[in-house]
Amino acid sequence: MIKSKLRSYIYEPVLTKEDIQSSKKRKGARASDWRKTLGRIWKIVDEQRALLIIILLMVVISSILSLLGPYLIGKIIDDHMIKKDFTGLKSMILVLIFVYIGLSISIFLQNYWMIGIAQQTVYRMRTGLFAKFQRLPIAFFDKRQHGELMSRMTNDMDNISSTLNSTFIQVFSSVITLVGTLVVMFSMSPLLTFLTMLIIPVMFVSTRWITRRTGKLFKTQQQALGSLNGMIEETISGQRVVKAFSQEQRMIDEFANKSSDLRRVGYWANVYSGAIPKTMNLLNNTSFAIVAGVGGILALKGYVSIGTIVVFSEYARQFTRPLNDLSNQFNNVLSAIAGAERVFTIMDEKEEQDQGKGELIREIRGDVTFEDVSFQYNLEEDIATIEHINFHVKKGQTVALVGATGAGKTTIMQLLARFYDPQQGRILIDDCPIQTISRQNLRSQMAFVLQEPFLFEATIKENIRYGRLQATDDDVVNAAKKANAHNFIMSLPNGYDTVLTADGGEISQGQRQLLSIARALVANPAILLLDEATSSIDTVTELEIQEALERLMEGRTSLVIAHRLNTIRKADLILVMEKGKLIESGEREKLIAKKGVFYQMLQQSTL
Amino acid sequence: MNTIFQYIKRYRLSIIIALMLMFVELAVELTQPLLIRKIIDEGIVVGESHTIWLWGSIMMLLALLAFLAGICNSFFAGYAAQNFAYDLRNALFKKVQSFTMATFLQFPSASLITRLTNDVTQVQQVFFMSLRIMLRAPLVVLGSLIMAFYVDASLAIYLCIGIPVLAVFMYMMVKKSIGNFALVQHKVDRVNRMIQENLQAMRLVKAYLRGLYEVSRFEKVASALKKDTSSALRLMEYIQPILLIVMNIAMLAILWFGAGQIQNGKTNIGDIAAIVNYTMRMTGSFSMFAFIITLFSRAKASATRMEEILLIKDGIEEVVLPTKIEAPYKKGEIVFENVSFKYPQTDRYVLKNISFSCKKGEKIAIMGATGSGKSTLLQLITKFYEVEEGRILVDGVDIKEWNLKNLRQSIGYVPQRSLLFTGTIFDNITWGKTKATKEEVIKATKQAQIYDSIMDFQNGYQTRVGQKGVNLSGGQKQRLSIARAILRKPEFLLFDDSTSALDVKTESALWKALEEEQATMLVVTQKIRTAKGADRIILLEDGVLSAFGTHKELIASSILYKKIAQSQMELGVKGDD
Ligand SMILES: Nc1ncnc2c1ncn2[C@@H]1O[C@H](COP(=O)(O)OP(=O)(O)OP(=O)(O)O)[C@@H](O)[C@H]1O
Ligand SMILES: Nc1ncnc2c1ncn2[C@@H]1O[C@H](COP(=O)(O)OP(=O)(O)OP(=O)(O)O)[C@@H](O)[C@H]1O
Ligand SMILES: [Mg+2]
Ligand SMILES: [Mg+2]
Repeated sequence: MIKSKLRSYIYEPVLTKEDIQSSKKRKGARASDWRKTLGRIWKIVDEQRALLIIILLMVVISSILSLLGPYLIGKIIDDHMIKKDFTGLKSMILVLIFVYIGLSISIFLQNYWMIGIAQQTVYRMRTGLFAKFQRLPIAFFDKRQHGELMSRMTNDMDNISSTLNSTFIQVFSSVITLVGTLVVMFSMSPLLTFLTMLIIPVMFVSTRWITRRTGKLFKTQQQALGSLNGMIEETISGQRVVKAFSQEQRMIDEFANKSSDLRRVGYWANVYSGAIPKTMNLLNNTSFAIVAGVGGILALKGYVSIGTIVVFSEYARQFTRPLNDLSNQFNNVLSAIAGAERVFTIMDEKEEQDQGKGELIREIRGDVTFEDVSFQYNLEEDIATIEHINFHVKKGQTVALVGATGAGKTTIMQLLARFYDPQQGRILIDDCPIQTISRQNLRSQMAFVLQEPFLFEATIKENIRYGRLQATDDDVVNAAKKANAHNFIMSLPNGYDTVLTADGGEISQGQRQLLSIARALVANPAILLLDEATSSIDTVTELEIQEALERLMEGRTSLVIAHRLNTIRKADLILVMEKGKLIESGEREKLIAKKGVFYQMLQQSTL
Repeated sequence: MNTIFQYIKRYRLSIIIALMLMFVELAVELTQPLLIRKIIDEGIVVGESHTIWLWGSIMMLLALLAFLAGICNSFFAGYAAQNFAYDLRNALFKKVQSFTMATFLQFPSASLITRLTNDVTQVQQVFFMSLRIMLRAPLVVLGSLIMAFYVDASLAIYLCIGIPVLAVFMYMMVKKSIGNFALVQHKVDRVNRMIQENLQAMRLVKAYLRGLYEVSRFEKVASALKKDTSSALRLMEYIQPILLIVMNIAMLAILWFGAGQIQNGKTNIGDIAAIVNYTMRMTGSFSMFAFIITLFSRAKASATRMEEILLIKDGIEEVVLPTKIEAPYKKGEIVFENVSFKYPQTDRYVLKNISFSCKKGEKIAIMGATGSGKSTLLQLITKFYEVEEGRILVDGVDIKEWNLKNLRQSIGYVPQRSLLFTGTIFDNITWGKTKATKEEVIKATKQAQIYDSIMDFQNGYQTRVGQKGVNLSGGQKQRLSIARAILRKPEFLLFDDSTSALDVKTESALWKALEEEQATMLVVTQKIRTAKGADRIILLEDGVLSAFGTHKELIASSILYKKIAQSQMELGVKGDD
């Protein structure tokens, strides 16, 4: 009965035998992984070496002062109290006051500065990771949950920060105390010192036994937390659908499931890492007993004096405390490593490659050529997304991409903006292969209105200005007017200074598109890419924007995708796509005369 | 704190066991010096090796006992702490799920995420610690104090002089630092938000080459977090040194006055040595105290943030209302009676005095300029927002009286922005009806015109969908959302401009396939072609219902409608000649 009741307090283990076995086998490799991760953190910490050295100095000072205090007090007791000679007591006490003030100050300063270093390190890692995000290819993000990535930025970083705050100082001062006590002990009795040190190997082995488990557990714990974060983020972002489909209960259940995974790992992480101080305590007491017992026998035989044993047992205690601290810190370090490894895996992801990095920023005229371009998103599959695409656009022309949904229109635009690189064929801009133009150069002369408009949590003005950061307020207003957004913006309580909520949740979809268009209008690009830019805008408004757009497109190369065919009635070239292939292309009149697919599409849309 | 405390209370039993085990440990630790003395006094000094062995073994056994107690403590403490966190997380999530859309605007998602993970972890850690070590420091201090008084009260009194000062000091520190840590957590929210936004906007950021700009924006947020964290933590660093100074000075006072008493012969050296020893012990535990205070303040700040969520009373959707009807009559009617609406916390009417009705099986198109209130109108029917003026009747019953779950179950809503979730295509389609059979899914996907596209994917229904459907085309996303809605066979279908990314051919096929559903449909659209296929058309103009009727009627009566029609006809005329 009791047994089964007790069992309910114990969760199913997370680590399997194989896990532990394999970690044993990989011991060498893992230790070097740890070293590498620590090395990388250290590199950032080390940027503030001067401060670090001062901190170390402070640790030395505080260690000395904390030894000096008891020493002086001992002296007071011995020299003054026992001898009942109170001359000079006053000055001794004054000295002690200074010692203790000095101790407090040095402790304060070392911690104060260490917090600075730790936070600076975390800051550097955070911004480093964020900057890394900006350099990663789009494909990286297609596969990952936002919340999971966010967790690395907050929860994993927290592990690192809390470890850095305390561990560094603790480890250093433990080592100092350890060495100090060892020296004193050795000078008192080498034999007893040797006895005390017997526990070190045991300590070592048991710490290893535990950390072999906690290292893995901590990592799994961070993963579970990340995946939970991912689920929360996604559910809350998609709350509208959750509500519309009354799926709240299912979400709650799924959450509870993930949450209980975290509970189980967290439980075992707690249990194992909690075992470290307890084991150390046991070893502590053992060594204490050894010193007392064996020392006692030795004293009987006259090898050591009784006084030595008394003092020595006190030192033995002091000796094991820093060891104890060290092994505890080791555990903390492991939890930091678990977080850091997750950060560094992303830091090691392959970045967007730029062959034309060194190339000077140059004006792009806007001749675009696709030569036998084929591309697929997923290399493991054998279905190409677009195949053998050939077309040529002269500077200043407007090209319309039409075709059934999923035909690959957006893909073509994404290739042109080098979000992805084609596996086969060449894309030329001004007769230069696109790979030789740096992304920087290329995109700086493009404006892209994406199929899914996105707005930042910022003022409307800032959102439009995103297209060109130097744009003046007048430019912004002009662009908004051209995009027909001015009127609705003015109807908002604070006009252009209205702060939008996350992703512009408070304005209508069409209004979001208007702002996206205004953003592109501000940019003043050589190449304009419009992907269904007006799909949610009513046709009357669209007609009005059309004029502004046409004026904008003059002299610029533009690619336009639209399902409403009158959106593209002025296009110089029409490309009709179907299932990733270009099936018709040419001028509008010609295509109509040909009475092919495009003609049919027109017929249908005018029915 | 009370609300959070309730979650702790549930694990009363394991908490008590854990604490008892901790006491065992502590007791062993405290008896050790006594045992040592016994070994020395009765063993070594007397020369009894037998006693040495005996007490040595007892000491070992006790150490082993402490060890076992410690290990067991881990299990119970871990159990209580992890379960506490688990319950708390689930309660928070459940609460968040019951938020109305308006409440969501008050709590940005990034902040909710921090509260559900980071804040919970914060509190849980402190809880775990307190079950294992935290109580130890106060106990050591208390024990030492008592012992000191026992030895010599007249000297020990000096230890107490510092206490009121320290108590006030600590109280102030805790108070201040709780605020500080709340600020830190708020900054974590901001960091979270910034990353979330950046990830959502990744294509835009790349397209406009704003990587560096974003980094500089992020640096501001991250350095604010750095600054606040540093100053919150640094404030705590004052505690330990000041505690040390006060305690050490008290100890020096004992020495000083003790010396005087020795001169008078009132005290002996042994007592002074003992009191000094106890004082040192107390001082040693005080560094632990500083640590505890930091953790506690941090936890308190986080706990308050969680309570903010747990205690929300308004802004919660009442799923189970005292309803008049549980099972709907399935009449398939929607009636708007003089509905006016403005979004919460704004004062502009988005819908003004809307009245119309539609019958079972009818297909109503809703047209109107950008921002005229079409989406708002649909969202009122799904009861995302409360109607305050006028009323909406569904199947003859005011939606206020409907059981929320039943109401939403009878509606298939396709939002204007397709929202898909990480998972397979199959998961996404069956998202609103997890028990759907394969046949039903195939039928729905065929109706939604997405079947062929799915079959073209290498993995068919098992194709992975990225967050928000990033790896699908615009039209594929829309059609999946449609399939997800019709799979539920709802009485009402609300399409919010859900065919904007579809080509004409696909769209016609879709409407055709939907005819066999006997659902009442409200279809927001910009396309006259789609409107023509509807039974009647609602035309909204700035939130006012400006026309309601068939295509023919509207062409004849509404200038605006004619204008819209013309804007789309122009091309056709040209195209045909
Ligand atoms: N990031 C991606 N990863 C993998 N596959 C993708 C990705 N983006 C698109 N696809 C697939 O590539 C194909 C072409 O998509 P694309 O977005 O180019 O279509 P589209 O012509 O723009 O269609 P729509 O008119 O519906 O927007 C689709 O089958 C889609 O599922
Ligand atoms: N959550 C909100 N809070 C405050 N105002 C809002 C909110 N959502 C929309 N609005 C405002 O209400 C008005 C109507 O918005 P709604 O989304 O209903 O327009 P719509 O007719 O669907 O337009 P579109 O065709 O562009 O989608 C707009 O002016 C918009 O700015
Ligand atoms: Mg597309
Ligand atoms: Mg809308």
